[in-house]
Amino acid sequence: MFKKKPLTVAMTVALASALALTGCGSSNNNGNAAGETNTGGNAPAEGNAGGNAATAEKVTLKMMHLWPAGSSKQQNMIVNDIIAQYQEANPNVTIKQEILENEQYKNKLKVLSASNDLPDVGMTWAAGFLTPYVKGQLFAPLDDTLEGGLKDSFVSGTTEAYAVDGKTYALPLELNITPVYYNKAIFSKYNLEVPQTYADFQKVVETLQSNGVAPIALGNKDRWTGSLWYMYLADRLGGPETLKNAINRSGSFEDPSLVKAAEDVQALVNGSAFNKGFNGLSNDEGKSEFMNGKAAMYLMGTWELPNFTTNESVPQEFRDSVGFFKFPTIEGGKGNIDSWVGGPGVGLFVAENSKVKEEAKKFVKFFVEKWGEQSVTKAGVIPATKVDTSKVQLPQMYIDILNELGKASNITLFADVQMSPAVAQTHLNMIQALFGKEVSPADFAKNHEEALKQEAGK
Amino acid sequence: MDKVMSNKKMIALYVLPALALVLALIYVPIVLTGYYGLMKWDGIGAMEFVGLDNYSRLVQDSAFWQSAYHALLLALFSALSLIAYLAVALVLSGEIKGANLLRKIYLIPMLLSSVAIAQLWLKIYHPTNGVVNSLLASLGFEGTIEWLSDTRIVLIAIFIPIIWQYAGFYILIYYAALKNIPSSLVEAARIDGANPLQIALRVKLPLIASVSKVTVVLAIVGSLKYFDLIYVMTDGGPNGASEVMASYMYDQAFRSFDFGYGSAIGFFLLLICLVVTWLIRKLTAGEEIQYS
Amino acid sequence: MAQTLAAPGSAARAAGRPAGRVFGMALLYAVLGAIAVLQVFPLIWLLFFSLKDNQEVFNMSPFALPTDPKWENYAKVWTEGNISRYFFNSVWYTVAAVVLTVLLASLVTFALTRMNWKLKKPVLGLFMVGIMIPIHSTLIPLFQMFMKANLTDHPLSIILTYTAFNLPLTIMILLGFYQTLPREVEEAAVMDGCSVNRIFFQIILPMTASVIATTVIINMIYNWNEFVFVNTFISSDGLKTLTVGIQNFIGQYTTDWGAIGATLMISILPILIVFFILSNRIVEGMTAGSVKG
Repeated sequence: MFKKKPLTVAMTVALASALALTGCGSSNNNGNAAGETNTGGNAPAEGNAGGNAATAEKVTLKMMHLWPAGSSKQQNMIVNDIIAQYQEANPNVTIKQEILENEQYKNKLKVLSASNDLPDVGMTWAAGFLTPYVKGQLFAPLDDTLEGGLKDSFVSGTTEAYAVDGKTYALPLELNITPVYYNKAIFSKYNLEVPQTYADFQKVVETLQSNGVAPIALGNKDRWTGSLWYMYLADRLGGPETLKNAINRSGSFEDPSLVKAAEDVQALVNGSAFNKGFNGLSNDEGKSEFMNGKAAMYLMGTWELPNFTTNESVPQEFRDSVGFFKFPTIEGGKGNIDSWVGGPGVGLFVAENSKVKEEAKKFVKFFVEKWGEQSVTKAGVIPATKVDTSKVQLPQMYIDILNELGKASNITLFADVQMSPAVAQTHLNMIQALFGKEVSPADFAKNHEEALKQEAGK
Repeated sequence: MDKVMSNKKMIALYVLPALALVLALIYVPIVLTGYYGLMKWDGIGAMEFVGLDNYSRLVQDSAFWQSAYHALLLALFSALSLIAYLAVALVLSGEIKGANLLRKIYLIPMLLSSVAIAQLWLKIYHPTNGVVNSLLASLGFEGTIEWLSDTRIVLIAIFIPIIWQYAGFYILIYYAALKNIPSSLVEAARIDGANPLQIALRVKLPLIASVSKVTVVLAIVGSLKYFDLIYVMTDGGPNGASEVMASYMYDQAFRSFDFGYGSAIGFFLLLICLVVTWLIRKLTAGEEIQYS
Repeated sequence: MAQTLAAPGSAARAAGRPAGRVFGMALLYAVLGAIAVLQVFPLIWLLFFSLKDNQEVFNMSPFALPTDPKWENYAKVWTEGNISRYFFNSVWYTVAAVVLTVLLASLVTFALTRMNWKLKKPVLGLFMVGIMIPIHSTLIPLFQMFMKANLTDHPLSIILTYTAFNLPLTIMILLGFYQTLPREVEEAAVMDGCSVNRIFFQIILPMTASVIATTVIINMIYNWNEFVFVNTFISSDGLKTLTVGIQNFIGQYTTDWGAIGATLMISILPILIVFFILSNRIVEGMTAGSVKG
């Protein structure tokens, strides 16, 4: 009798470990299933993969990204495609993927960083997000990979967003700007023209509002969505430098134009410019107001372009009725109409303490080049590398956007990416409070100023 | 009796495996959280010892106290909701036809993950085509109630799904406790002429007192460290109006990269739970009742 | 069983009740029925949700029937991603952790309530504090510990964590029940010369069948739906659980809600079935209990 209980426990443990072994043994080597279906028949890699000898040591590269096959099918396919090409050219290299969705990805990156166990290659965001990792010496400088012409293939200013103290720590994959999309059908129904000035824009809002149409779709639970509106108003009023200087501490956030921009936001809220309940809706929910034709305008990044051009699950009729315009200029303001809010999105980093750092850098370089060749045509993602519009087949809206990108006078990086993480949280909370009229424009500016000061004093 | 049931070896054998697991996987993190709470640390670079700086900041942080107040309110509502769940369990465990089926149905929502529950309630609360507002509109109510973006009502709006989410959990526990009462005791009371209400209040309730005490502790501690639905449905917003301690801690540690401060909040939260639990046990201290 | 035993008596009494009583019962059933409808709604909603696309999810009333049921959501979920592998992992992590938790918790609770030793109170206190730590405070320390033990990306990290984090809760629930068990039975058993193991496994454990069923249900639901630990400790796709199926459809900028609904629907069915089976055990446990009384 005495032996009975320990035996039970021992059996449970034994069973658990036996199962553990089977679980381990069958763990796969290459990301998820959708990838496996297309790693097969790809064109052999080109020379620049630097196919080193098959005799080389076996190398396993860990890569973490946020493009699961379910929601980001095309991106995921391209990633698998590039990996297959690289592995073919470098038979000694195996690349293991780990895929997490956005939020979980950020959490895991945090845990891995605290444990100094980052993957060899992973994704990061620019500026404020990246700086703590660079200061903590977790990311490797990638300037050597930029030599030999790669630097010139990037749209100017994009790699700089990932630079700290003159060294570049990640290579960007995406470049987005944020136009105002509008529903042409609704505009023509109420005889509205695309507004050139902010006064015109206000009239458009008024007309739509008085006709019972929600003028602007917004889901501000996510908060960076409302930030876009504030940033444009700040840019058009004070010019691109005012906000940048306030953030980099050569200026003040209590600059009159930054306060005025906050006032203008509240004027829009007071004029019922946004759909109902916007402060409690996610971006997905806000967007649906535009997608179902209930709201007339939507300010969002160019990552939405597939929904307005190629995405078959969106009705053709709706896709055809979407146009875009540049955020109008404000009379007396210093901003110009070719100045954009946007910037590079995710970029690839190489971990500083990676045991296969050189191989990882080589892979990142290869990845960026290959990505640039196909991301826009296959996945509708505008890469940070230059796209020759004359050589690729693209929907007209893409060509228009790429042309606008070509003549952009300035791109101001999304405020929550520009700022350090702690200040970004203050900014985002303040944005939601501003839109909810919980804070006065003056206090909005003051709170920013205090947070920025405190951060600078650290 | 005493000798057999005091066998040290057996006691160790029964208690130590579980205790070892809990000490290793829960206490080590608790101790480390306390330790990180004394540091200035972004979770990435080097740590710097700052003593009680994080705690003095905490004491002056009005956003934290707001979140603590919200969590305490949630704890209060959760504790009160137990009365309703107990009532349902009493009815279900009585002599009602179809109780078996009803019980199963009542517990279904408990099986849903927080992701599903959050999506369901987001749809219920949607300002324009949500269930509640559509219903109000069909009753002739004018105007739109913005359940999750109005700072005055968001807290109550978010409490409802949280409390509902745990209905199954508590009904299940109460039901099992009530079913565990030997039917001879209930029968004896009935022969003495007690009506169902008297049986419930005078016989059944006292017999499940120890279970009830446990549920009160669980409800209150669970509320104080609650996170899931708030994170998905409002993210603590708008502007902190539905922030609770755990979501505030998450914001500081994982979003603001202030892991030291986040850990201090986590540790403080633990202390609050300890104090509250101690109070509950003091207040409800009494004789343990046994069936005889 | 319980109902059938009790029914004749209650029917006889109901016959003798005045009209007011009958009306009261009718009202009671109306209320109970209304609650039941409310509680089934989520499941129906989820079914509808899983058959819609984003457009319908956002623009239609949540309880509206999908205009054109998107069964392809299920096909998508089934083909994209390793769902059978995730399913297998979910089942065995859950089963292993539940068995381990309930067994260990029962042993502890038995020792705490039936055996005589000095450190009972502090040990109980140690377990209770275990429910007070917010999950996100534990992620980094736990990850580092598992890394040192070479257990990251290993099923044991998940099973042990689930067990440790559910033990305090399970012990607390068991405690309330153990405290009410009559002592006469085990006193008699001790007189007969039974060992502690025999008293526990052959006398006490069967007596607690109903609460064991209860804790198994609770543990099972928690483990089945858990994803924060899985995401943090596991990196190989082949070791992940059904909850990653949801993530598979959350994009950088947009999310495929219909597919998420289908994933949720697929993952709820198995535990719904197990729940219905176990749920009967609670009543049967009572029957076992009545024998002892």
